[in-house]
Amino acid sequence: MIASRQPNGSAISALRSLLPVLVVLALIALVPLLSPSNRFLSLAISAGINVIALYGLSVLFGQTGILSMGHAALVGVGAYTAAILARDLCTGFWLALPAAALASALFAMIVGIPSLRVGGHHFVIMTFAFGQLLAIVLTNGGDYTGAATGLDLVGPVTLFGADMSDLTRYYLMVVAFVAAAAVASWAIINSPYGRTLRAIRENERLAASLGINVGRHKIGAFVVSGIFAGISGVLLAHFLGHISPTQFASFPSIYLALMVMIGGARLIAGPLAGGILVAFLPEVLNLDPVQSRIVYGVCLIAVILLLPEGLIAGVGQVFRRLLASGQPKQEREELDTASTTPSEVRR
Amino acid sequence: MSPILEIRGLSKRFGGVTALSGVDLAIEEGEILGVVGPNGSGKTTLFNVVTGVHMPSGGSVSFRGRDITGLKPHAISRAGIGYTFQQAMAFAGLRVLENVQIAGEHVRVNAGASHHPWPTPLALLDFVGLAALADERAGVLPFGSLRLLGLALALASRPALLLLDEPAAGLNDRETAALVGLVRQLPGHGITVCVIDHDMKLMQMLCRRLAVLDFGSKIADGPTGAVLADPKVLDVYLGGDL
Ligand SMILES: Nc1ncnc2c1ncn2[C@@H]1O[C@H](COP(=O)(O)OP(=O)(O)OP(=O)(O)O)[C@@H](O)[C@H]1O
Ligand SMILES: [Mg+2]
Repeated sequence: MIASRQPNGSAISALRSLLPVLVVLALIALVPLLSPSNRFLSLAISAGINVIALYGLSVLFGQTGILSMGHAALVGVGAYTAAILARDLCTGFWLALPAAALASALFAMIVGIPSLRVGGHHFVIMTFAFGQLLAIVLTNGGDYTGAATGLDLVGPVTLFGADMSDLTRYYLMVVAFVAAAAVASWAIINSPYGRTLRAIRENERLAASLGINVGRHKIGAFVVSGIFAGISGVLLAHFLGHISPTQFASFPSIYLALMVMIGGARLIAGPLAGGILVAFLPEVLNLDPVQSRIVYGVCLIAVILLLPEGLIAGVGQVFRRLLASGQPKQEREELDTASTTPSEVRR
Repeated sequence: MSPILEIRGLSKRFGGVTALSGVDLAIEEGEILGVVGPNGSGKTTLFNVVTGVHMPSGGSVSFRGRDITGLKPHAISRAGIGYTFQQAMAFAGLRVLENVQIAGEHVRVNAGASHHPWPTPLALLDFVGLAALADERAGVLPFGSLRLLGLALALASRPALLLLDEPAAGLNDRETAALVGLVRQLPGHGITVCVIDHDMKLMQMLCRRLAVLDFGSKIADGPTGAVLADPKVLDVYLGGDL
């Protein structure tokens, strides 16, 4: 009896987490009906492209518990792959997608193997260093990478003969990609593989004692996040039509980490919320770049201190607290006492 | 029959500290072997070296005739050696059932395992008496239940040999009695057990054979009664509660 109850319950609750995201995305796809400004569409496209990378980052950080501070570099590898393939082989958008996903995944593996070996907080520093290194390599790559000026990418994006370069169509295509990224990330989270990643996040030693190859799975999670980043990079390159090294250096990486933390890395709605919020906050509050950096910083500190599971989980908690007062608080107290295990009895 | 685990000349040094020096120990298939010794005598280190947490400084370990010295922890787990930690632990943020599910997903069925098919995660929870808590987050479990969950996790990894490091530490009398009942059943299910504990009453209930460590060396090994009467062992526990 118990056996049949549990899987059903978890399958339904798993779907329940995805549905609101898809509904919101469907609503977002209707926005062009309100004939928004080009500026709005551009901003939304950039946000969506970030959200795709964020879904990869949520697998890495939210599920596996490892933070990449050089994630924009993986996006950059995807973007440069698209631009170089378009220039040298006249490869279009659709062929660039798998190629870039592969390139970013490979780059993630090359970065991940030495970085995850050192483990823990060093991984953060290693990914940061590799991000910087990539920017330096791209800047000094001569004509091949276009050096500091970067590369232009010309050529239309077509889908079933339709030109997708038009802003509204590109917007819709990005929304579709975001939906695909959300579903992919959701499928990973709710698979046995996702469970394995969470086990590693919770306790590496215990995971290893149960036959989990911790090192290989960590690299695997980084590679998976690289695939999302590579696809995000192709969309970015084709959207901007021009890419340069600084777009993929430390600041964009920090922004990606910040977005996933603000939105909440463990929930399927988190990356979407974080990406939209960080993109539109300066717009809504009418902030200049310096001010917006300050606001982001304050937001991040506030989220880490007040809503460690991210904005979405925090808002959900507040709602539950309002609906059933007292209940969530009690839960928290139980958790706190459980984390302090009694000291070993010695004789 | 050859032993299921054979430890030969095993040594481990941590900088200047010699935690193990030249330990020989054989665990026979189907037995419950006890390992005792004062605090810091190297018992946990013995398990840590066998399970691949630490590289040995010397010596070898073979499991069912296969040399497993220096293999990684996950490889040793997959070979068929399960273990629980002296510090009870679980995947605190995940549900109890999810904990056990994970534990069973990464091991191939052991050649030596007598159970086909291996009990389901829920059956294992039922075995350790935690089925009613299957939907709880492991982090909210009281300490005694956490220890039992640790046992269920190790069992889910389909071990042919199970190493238990102070499984009764921190348990009350009722929980300890339940644990004894569970562990005694394991050999009947094809699981050989090696258990560390300071509680001699518990060890007398569980083990027909005891090995004693002192300062990293094995000083006695034999039938429980004889070992506990051994003057060398009494000497080690001088003033203790033997
Ligand atoms: N990782 C380590 N680094 C350095 N020294 C260690 C390490 N692990 C154990 N030791 C040392 O090795 C010796 C044996 O420790 P071990 O934990 O194996 O003892 P034990 O018999 O399990 O003791 P207890 O009954 O207290 O659990 C001790 O002196 C301890 O300080
Ligand atoms: Mg110990």
